[in-house]
Amino acid sequence: MASKRKRKKPVTEEAVIPMTPMIDVVFQLLVYFIVTMKPMDVVAHLDVFRPSPEASQEKPDTPPKMIRISIYADGYTINDKPVTPEDLDRLIMKLSSFDKNQTILIMCTALSPHEKLVKVLDLCAKSGLKNLSVISTN
Amino acid sequence: MRRKGRTSGGEDGVNMTPMIDVVFQMIIFFVCTADLDRKAFDEKIKLALSPHGPAVEKKDPRTVTVEVDKRGVIKLGQVAVPYTTFVSMLRKTVAEYGQTTPVVIRADGATKHEDVKRVMDACSQAGLWKVKFSATKEKAKTVQ
Repeated sequence: MASKRKRKKPVTEEAVIPMTPMIDVVFQLLVYFIVTMKPMDVVAHLDVFRPSPEASQEKPDTPPKMIRISIYADGYTINDKPVTPEDLDRLIMKLSSFDKNQTILIMCTALSPHEKLVKVLDLCAKSGLKNLSVISTN
Repeated sequence: MRRKGRTSGGEDGVNMTPMIDVVFQMIIFFVCTADLDRKAFDEKIKLALSPHGPAVEKKDPRTVTVEVDKRGVIKLGQVAVPYTTFVSMLRKTVAEYGQTTPVVIRADGATKHEDVKRVMDACSQAGLWKVKFSATKEKAKTVQ
């Protein structure tokens, strides 16, 4: 056993690699990448349905059962009744408790910001509603 | 006895060089590919917030990402595209990948709906019906 060790030692000393400079460089690289890295936002994808091009030609006649949410540049209405964003949240929550698969018709005016549409879609996603139709109006 | 000693000696001084080479290659590969993915999008577009929206789990490799900035300019991969060109490009996409190709619209929160509508109309003209809106679910924590 002792003789074996004696023989091993010179071999190891020969094969040794200076690790210090390599570790230095690796650390430099690591620090560089951490500093330059910009964390990415978590992105959500909101699914919507669009009317087919043929259907969009005719006037949308809506069955009374359907929930209609209109988005204007300065506010929201639900079934033609103006509501505040908080009320809208509450109403969507309440309405979604009956049926998650009901169709929600979202009518968006041309001049309203995209933000508002996303907000409504977000509230619908929060309540678990899936059938969201987006219609653009003037 | 002599032979055994030699093997144990070789085990002791493991040759690190090829392993380090491979690890470096991998690091560089991942860094490069991660950067390319990021450069494809316009940094100036501020997506609207959607804290409850479904997070993107798996991405269809065919996905077409369209960007619409505040002024309503349609951009494909950082390049502004006129409307007619955009429609013909979508038509080509349909011819190549079919009508189930998903379209993701990355519109700025302040974009007017009519500009977003234009993009959606172009999609329906081309026959694409899987339209999604991109929104920020969670802001990244900034280090600075």
